[in-house]
Amino acid sequence: MNLLQVLIESLRSMAANRLRTALTMLGIVIGIASVVLLLAIGDSMQRFIGGQLQMLGTNMLYVVPGADRTSGQRAREGKVAVLTLDDAEALNALPSLTGAAPALQGGFKLSAGNETLTSNVTGITPAMFNIRNWKVDQGTPFGEADVRASARLAVIGQKVADQFFYRQDPLGRTLRIENVAFQVIGVLAGEGRQTDGTDLSELVLVPITAASANLVKTPFPQNVHYVAAQGRSTVALPEAVEDIKEVLRSRHHIRFDDPDDFRVQNLSSFADTANKISAGVALLLGMIGAISLLVGGIGIMNIMLVSVTERTREIGIRMAIGARPSHVLLQFLAEAVVICLAGGLVGIALAAGGAALITKFADFDVYLTLSAVIVACGFSTVVGIFFGFYPARRASRLLPVDCLRYE
Amino acid sequence: MNAALIDIQHVVKTYRSGNVETPVLHGIDLLVQRGDFVSIMGQSGSGKSTLMNILGCLDQASSGTYLLDGVDTLTLGRAQLADIRNRTIGFVFQSFNLIKRMDVLENVALPLIYGGVGRAKAHARAMTELERVGLGDFARRTPSQLSGGQQQRVAIARALVTGPPLLLADEPTGNLDTHTSDDIMRSFQQLNRERGITVVLVTHEADVAAYSRRLVRLKDGHVMFDGSAQEGLQQFAGGHAMARPGAAP
Repeated sequence: MNLLQVLIESLRSMAANRLRTALTMLGIVIGIASVVLLLAIGDSMQRFIGGQLQMLGTNMLYVVPGADRTSGQRAREGKVAVLTLDDAEALNALPSLTGAAPALQGGFKLSAGNETLTSNVTGITPAMFNIRNWKVDQGTPFGEADVRASARLAVIGQKVADQFFYRQDPLGRTLRIENVAFQVIGVLAGEGRQTDGTDLSELVLVPITAASANLVKTPFPQNVHYVAAQGRSTVALPEAVEDIKEVLRSRHHIRFDDPDDFRVQNLSSFADTANKISAGVALLLGMIGAISLLVGGIGIMNIMLVSVTERTREIGIRMAIGARPSHVLLQFLAEAVVICLAGGLVGIALAAGGAALITKFADFDVYLTLSAVIVACGFSTVVGIFFGFYPARRASRLLPVDCLRYE
Repeated sequence: MNAALIDIQHVVKTYRSGNVETPVLHGIDLLVQRGDFVSIMGQSGSGKSTLMNILGCLDQASSGTYLLDGVDTLTLGRAQLADIRNRTIGFVFQSFNLIKRMDVLENVALPLIYGGVGRAKAHARAMTELERVGLGDFARRTPSQLSGGQQQRVAIARALVTGPPLLLADEPTGNLDTHTSDDIMRSFQQLNRERGITVVLVTHEADVAAYSRRLVRLKDGHVMFDGSAQEGLQQFAGGHAMARPGAAP
């Protein structure tokens, strides 16, 4: 008895009871759909978080001015919490850090030729390129000398380059920021949204001194918005944090019992949180999937038992004309597996639809991986075999004489 | 082989339900040679159906020996018994016992498929067998679209498709009218004469038994008559001549 025959008979018996088959499948459909979706979401989250971490660089720390109290409270106390270029310089010299770089940010009007665009411009020091793992594709980044000279130079993202200098070499061209001419000397490699909401390809980077002199125009050109720092991989991150606090507290003359006037944010803790959330979501979906599969499997066992009873006479006929017990076992087992596999395929289709919906509405790429589909098919088969075995064995153990007498 | 096709000795069958034992067959001896045409008769409860089930390897005797085609069936496992039913025995039942969901051709081909023949080849051989019983044009109908007589002819085709030496028929005409019964019985006779197939049938109708050569009469689990059909039928019909046209001499 070949597999084709077994398959044909399974499909025929499923077709004979369409509604029943469909309802039986439902549990498996839901179970497999959630299992596949969970695998896809887990995969995508891991990929997403991994990508974010890579873009951020590892061991990233952000130092921002101000503690838990609001600026208003601080103002009443007569203190204004600030971070300065010198603070950043001091941190940059810390042995437990690979580097520290200050940043000034703001939205400014960019123009070149006829194109005008309001965009975020970030003033930085060259150390930032290393810390954030930003690679300059064409041209060169600016250097320390350019920062000291407040040189009006700019390194721009790919999208900005396309916008203003479409199909032209952007290097050496002039980009006007708030009507101040900056010369483009480099284009950043890559694109993609980062955890802080910026897109690599939309960045406009200028020397921080040029930003404070020409763009931000504060009365305190020394002040910066934040300092990014990267801990050395050989040093535990909390130790690097302690070093940063020690340096800044001493530089800010904070007495030992007074609180910090800055905060050190550890970005990898965001990643940890995100990982925990994704694991939680995966666990929840996994449990729904497992319960559905269990309930669906029991449903299949139930229906198969009914089917064996209904077809007792047919089993007798088959045995009389030469079906071995193993033939009967295989037939009923195949039927359970085919129901489960069909349910599994519908479930996969449903999960693919779900993934497409999430991708569309959640701005988060979820797609089914081949491994998820294979795992789902394997799971369906296992459920079919597990829950189909008992009814099938029961059918195969019937005695032909009893079956033929059954009405 | 000179050995009898069926060689049953001291076969006892006892059904047990709980602690109550109900003996049905009390030591039956029966020899059926190749090419014979035997009717088994008896009132209900005489054990004829039980004997038939044992002959067909659908059930096993409680004790005794049963050699079928020289093989001791009581020592065989279920899979081996299935193979014997597949190759050595063809069954024809009172209620036809075709599988309703399958068309006629697939019904006839099924024994071949269980015997390991490929689907295409099985269908070709099934078609040949269907044409032999004159139903080649009905191959793609379902059993329910056929008359009782046609269904029984399909069942005969199915019984013979693996080329077994033995045909067992349990009340094969029980659900058919007289005219169709005669048709079916004549085709049994033809199979017996022309293809040398050994036929053993169970019936309670003297008209049907009259087609056979030999008659075995059971009563309360014992063989009470074993001889020529003509003689036996006369003896038990109170002297009425039961010879019919076409009946074996």
